[in-house]
Amino acid sequence: MQLLDSYVKAVKLYLPRKQREDIARELSANLLSQMEERQEELGRALTEEEEMEFLRQHGDPMLVARGYRQDRPSLNIGIELIGPELFPMYLMILGMNLTIALGLTAVFVYLFKAPFSLEPFILPFLIQIFCVTLTFVILNWIRRKYPQPWYYPPAALSPHLPIARWHSLSGLVVWSIFTLWWAAVPYFPGLLFGTWAQGLELAASWHHFYLPVLLLLLAGIAQRAANLARPEWTWLLPGVRVIINGIALAMQVPMIHGFPFVVVNPAAAGHPLFEQLAEAYSNIILWGFLSWLWIYFLIGALVYARFCVPHVRRWLALRQHGTAMAL
Amino acid sequence: MQPSSSANELFENLRLELRRGSLILAVLAALRSEQYGYTLRKSLADQGMEIDEGTLYPLLRRLESQGLLTSEWREEEKRNKRFYRLAPRGEEILKQLLAEWEAIGASLEEILKEPRHATAG
Repeated sequence: MQLLDSYVKAVKLYLPRKQREDIARELSANLLSQMEERQEELGRALTEEEEMEFLRQHGDPMLVARGYRQDRPSLNIGIELIGPELFPMYLMILGMNLTIALGLTAVFVYLFKAPFSLEPFILPFLIQIFCVTLTFVILNWIRRKYPQPWYYPPAALSPHLPIARWHSLSGLVVWSIFTLWWAAVPYFPGLLFGTWAQGLELAASWHHFYLPVLLLLLAGIAQRAANLARPEWTWLLPGVRVIINGIALAMQVPMIHGFPFVVVNPAAAGHPLFEQLAEAYSNIILWGFLSWLWIYFLIGALVYARFCVPHVRRWLALRQHGTAMAL
Repeated sequence: MQPSSSANELFENLRLELRRGSLILAVLAALRSEQYGYTLRKSLADQGMEIDEGTLYPLLRRLESQGLLTSEWREEEKRNKRFYRLAPRGEEILKQLLAEWEAIGASLEEILKEPRHATAG
C-alpha cells in the first residue's frame, strides 16, 4: 500500500487544488479495487514488483491528472508547449524566479551605486522568462515522450526504483560541461573574464578551493555515469550526493573568507577600470553565489541524508536476515 | 510502409472521435443503476465498451458538475467508495440523447443503403 499511497500523492501534485483530496481519495479507492481483483485472480497478495508494474501501467501521474484539467489554461501555439497540468507550477516557479532575479538586480544596482532605471532589469527579466519557459517546455515534452510512474520518487521508495537513465544522462551532460569549464578557467581566464582577462586574474585564495571543487564535480560525474550504466544501484545517488553536499557545505566558510576572489594582475596594476572590475567580480561571486549557495548545499545534504535512511534500513534488515539464516 | 502507418493513425484518430460521442451515452445509460468508478469501467468493458481510466474518471466528474449525475461516498466491503448514479436531469438528457442516437442510426442506415440502390439501379 505504500507504493499506491506514494503514487496517488504524486498524482495529487498536479490536480486542481479545490478537488485535490476528493479526486485522490476516489482514485485510490478505484486502484485498490483493481489491485484486489488481481490478487483474487492470483490467489495471493501482489509482490512489490507486481504492484510497481501495475502502477507503471496506470501511467505517469502528471498525465493521469491531466484528464481533470482539460479545460484549464495551458501554453499552446498550435502545438502544446506546456500542458494544463504543468501550467500552474510553471507560473508559480516563473513568479518566484522573477521575484528573486529582480530583487537581486535591485540589490546589485544599490551596491554598485548605479542609477535606478529600467535598463538593468530588462535582461534578467527576459533571461528568467526564457529559461523557465524552456525548462517547462522540455519537461512537458519528456513527460509525454517517456512517461514514468515516479519522476521524483519519495525517499521511502528510493531503494525500489531504478534511477531513470534520462535523469543520469541529462545530469551527466550538464555536469560535464560545467566541470570542463571549471577545469579550464585557470588556463583560459577569458572563460570567466572575457576580454577583461588581460587585466584580471584569480586571487591566490581561489586556488585553495579550485582542486577540492574539481574533485567534487568529478565525483558527481562518476556517480551519474555509474547510474547510467547501472540504474539499479539506487543507493549510489543519495550516498554520493550526501557526501558531495556535506563537503561543499563545509567548504563554504573558508571560501567566503577567501574574499576577494579576483584581483588586478601585475600588468594592469593601478588601472582604475580593472580595480573596479576586480571588486565587482569579487562582489558578484560573494553576494551572487556564495551568500546563498550554502542554503542549497544544506538542503541538498538534508534531502539526500533522508533518502539514505531507507537504504541503510534495508541494508541492516538484510544483514540481520543473513545472520539469522546463518544461525 | 509510411502511408500505411499514417493511414492507421488516421483511422485510430477517427475511431476515437467516433467513440467519444457515444461514450457519454454509454456512461449515462450504465449509470441508471448505481456503480462506482472501477465497477462501471469493468461493466462497460464487459459489454465491449473499453474506456481508459484517464478518460472515464474525469468524465464522471464532468457529468456530475453538469448536474447529470449524483454521487455519494459510501462504505462497501469495509472500504469507502464513491458511487455514481443518474440524476433526474441526466435521465431527461439520456432520453433525448437516445432519441437522437436512434435518429442518427436510422439516417446512417439509409445513407449506407443508397450506393447499393444506385449500383442496383
